[in-house]
Amino acid sequence: MLSYLLATLTFAGVYALLALGLNVIWGMAGMINLGLAGFFALGAYASALATVALGLPIIVGIVIAIAFAAAAGALLSRLTLNLRGDYLAIVTLGFSEVIRLIAANEIWLTNGSDGIPGIPGPLRGTLTPLEFNALSCALLFAAVGLAWWMTERLRRAPFGRALRAIRDDETAAAVAGKPVRRYKVQAFAIGAGLLGLAGAAYAHFTSYVAPDIFRPLLTIYIFLALTAGGTGNTSGAVIGAFFVILILEGSRFIEPLFHGLSGAQGAALREIIIGSSLILIMRIRPQGLLAERPPKSLRTQ
Amino acid sequence: MDLIPQLLVNGIISGALLAIPAIGFTAIFAVLRFPNFSVASLATIGAFAGYAANVGLGLPAVPALVAAFMVAGLVGLASDEIALRPLRPYGALTAAIASIALTIVLENMVRFGFGNDLRGYDLPLVRDWRIMGVRVGPQQVQNLALALVIMAGVFAALKFSRIGKAMRAVADNPTLAELKGIDPVRVGRLTVFVAMGLVGAGGMLLGLGTSIDPLTGFRFILPIFAAAVVGGLGSIPGAALGAMVVGIGEELSLLVLSPAYKSAVGFIAIVLVLAFRPRGLLGERAY
Amino acid sequence: MLKLNRRAFLSASAATLATPALLRAQSGAIKIGTLTPLTGVGGTYGPSMRDAILGVVAQVNEAGGILGRQIEVASEDTQTSPEAAVRAARKLIDVDGVSAILGTWASSITTAVAPLAWESKTMLMCVSGADSITKLPHQGFICRTQPNSILQIQVAGDFMVAEGATQMAWIGPQTPFAASSIDILEQIAAANGAGMESLIYEADKSTYRSEVDQILRGKPDFIMLGGYAADSTVLLRDIWQAGYEGKIIGPAYAVNAGLLDTLPSAVTEGIYTWEGAPAVNSAAYANVKAILGVDEVDPYSAQTYDHASLTILAMAAGGDSSGDTVRQNVRSISQGDGQIVESAVDGLAALAGGINYSGASGPCDFNEIGDITGTQFVFKTISGGKPSEYKRV
Repeated sequence: MLSYLLATLTFAGVYALLALGLNVIWGMAGMINLGLAGFFALGAYASALATVALGLPIIVGIVIAIAFAAAAGALLSRLTLNLRGDYLAIVTLGFSEVIRLIAANEIWLTNGSDGIPGIPGPLRGTLTPLEFNALSCALLFAAVGLAWWMTERLRRAPFGRALRAIRDDETAAAVAGKPVRRYKVQAFAIGAGLLGLAGAAYAHFTSYVAPDIFRPLLTIYIFLALTAGGTGNTSGAVIGAFFVILILEGSRFIEPLFHGLSGAQGAALREIIIGSSLILIMRIRPQGLLAERPPKSLRTQ
Repeated sequence: MDLIPQLLVNGIISGALLAIPAIGFTAIFAVLRFPNFSVASLATIGAFAGYAANVGLGLPAVPALVAAFMVAGLVGLASDEIALRPLRPYGALTAAIASIALTIVLENMVRFGFGNDLRGYDLPLVRDWRIMGVRVGPQQVQNLALALVIMAGVFAALKFSRIGKAMRAVADNPTLAELKGIDPVRVGRLTVFVAMGLVGAGGMLLGLGTSIDPLTGFRFILPIFAAAVVGGLGSIPGAALGAMVVGIGEELSLLVLSPAYKSAVGFIAIVLVLAFRPRGLLGERAY
Repeated sequence: MLKLNRRAFLSASAATLATPALLRAQSGAIKIGTLTPLTGVGGTYGPSMRDAILGVVAQVNEAGGILGRQIEVASEDTQTSPEAAVRAARKLIDVDGVSAILGTWASSITTAVAPLAWESKTMLMCVSGADSITKLPHQGFICRTQPNSILQIQVAGDFMVAEGATQMAWIGPQTPFAASSIDILEQIAAANGAGMESLIYEADKSTYRSEVDQILRGKPDFIMLGGYAADSTVLLRDIWQAGYEGKIIGPAYAVNAGLLDTLPSAVTEGIYTWEGAPAVNSAAYANVKAILGVDEVDPYSAQTYDHASLTILAMAAGGDSSGDTVRQNVRSISQGDGQIVESAVDGLAALAGGINYSGASGPCDFNEIGDITGTQFVFKTISGGKPSEYKRV
């Protein structure tokens, strides 16, 4: 049971990193990125290939993953600067599907739909599974804590306030002399870097990446997490991620209470519970569990 | 290169089928200003309603299509009232995200009721005709005709009916429309009903050539979005045009790219179109 | 005294409501887990795979269980996603305490779950065919009932040549065995002076008309399908509409009862299928038919029936319910000179004298890395929407 809780918390940590990354791009800068799974995949594959194919240490793999995803984010946002929100949503969604197709078809690079097994994890093999889960959980929590602290600082810094101004009224921000285009590209790159970090963390924790992991379902879960937690609120992103994992995992324990369901019905019931809980929470708290508040520094200055 | 006429025909047929749900999707965007992702499961619901009418009640294709329209329209309206309308004041994105959760719920209601088994419509299957070396199926021609009739109906209704004019007025300028005495809530409801009905009918038309299961709508959702965006979100003629671009583009891509990358083409088309026209081919005027 | 009992009863019922899985883990029953795709693209297969396992366990429990205990099944859904499958497997291993996970489908899912299984000494039985799976460092904790894809394609390729193919074609989606399937067919074609064309398409499309046009330009006289039931349904319809008159062969898990129900019989007339074969008039196969209440058993469900039977017999033979016991005993009850048995219940009765389990999917003999060996294959041909046996190799 403890091992399960630790593993679940580790997954929640991965989701929290994704939600924090999305929060920078969407919550703070207002750009809709439906391509989360694509950046997640870039990070996961970059770190997997660096450590498995090139034999580099895990930490180097993670740095490469962040850099790679951030560079891809900068490039994609540079190409799509003129697009309004809804169009950006579709372009980024397409980006992530293209990444998945490349991962499945370019076998020489990615090992195709077989995926890459045997990705090293810190001390994996020398520790018992329980100890490994405990270590992973601790490392993920440290990473989430660090990412939380950094993005929260970012939010309170002049950069964060400029982003909010851009998000709320891009024209006004430009008139006020903010370097709108540069800031948007930077915000997208920072967020994408966090998504890449999440991908690397996932790859080293589970030891396996394959194209099927990066279907849009994951993107959906993270958007629901951030919306439930509170868009634009750093702590809300983390809480939302834990909340979504709580629903995803908790729903497993409800299904056995209903007897006489077929396999498909039981699974359908579980997903109905997941979807309805998320709608319910949005109905009860439309602004998320933690609504966005203007940062303190704004008032004290 | 003798393949090109054949690919064009295939592309036009799949584009015309894609146009129906894309019009529904874009019509909701035009009036309610948010992308409603629950079209995926409503296309599935339409396909299953049509299946139940066709196989369960023994109705032919056209009455079954009407059943698909009605059921998807009503389910779409009811679920919108329960889950989405109360959230719209909190922003387009909140409503959009809620529509994703809604689509999970609806898809699984279909799964709960019908299971995961593949199901096929009870329609006669005939071999294709060959006309000047190009093959085309009678079923395809019928689907194409139905799609064109539906589209003509939509355009006529928008142009000439009182309700259609009200929808266009709200889409163009909600405040002005309200001043003129048009009730935006009523128009919104009507739009959702008609649009989701179109999505359901489109789901059935797309499903006629395949077998259907609870994931049917998800198989079409990416090209539907792509079509709406290429044409200009919120533009109904744009959705029809965008569907053609995506449909034909995907088929023609076989000339240069491995078929394994087919859906990448839809997105390359989007990026190309948006690079030159950031608001889509026809901009965003509803009609 | 009464008060204490009542309190104990109340807290027990509260625990049942709150965490039924936890309580069951302590109740002394032996736990095995099913991990099949119940939603997502594999959803057409998962429910009956699960039902086959539940059926075996119900039969064994009715006959008194094993090791003096009843068997309980914990079921989870892979959602056809490796990420969700890993979370589900963690729950099965750590919360339910299962000693075996049965029925993983899709190679990416089996590969994702595999490290969890061997690290926690849980047995994993899968229906995935990718060659890479049994090459993982699994220490014996994986075995599979699906013949590996190289063997399957070789057998089917030889069949195509024997049936007179002169221009072969392979058409299927991108999967772990797409590339190797094409390679093997090309070798077979070259060795027999036949031509060979291939096309890899994108799965989950609503039509493959243009892909079919492209593959038919090579004028094939024998086409092999490489996909699963959902895309094969679309593909077969498109191939038929295009007026193709040649032969077609598809794996039995793709051209299955669901596909045959969905398509008009004209479309499927004369198609060949092949699968790993049970013995002729196999009692195991009849038993799965009875459990599922169907006429034609999906190959995957036949395999999960074997998963459950093998697991239960290995536990009984080893006198212990751990995953390690299953690993150590699965070969001793499935191969060798013992009495041939075809169900878990029969096997339990004959266990003392030594048994050789022969299942619904084949003889179930495993080599050292967990691949099945000595598989017979049965080729069937479809007529009037019904498959009938054509040939065995």
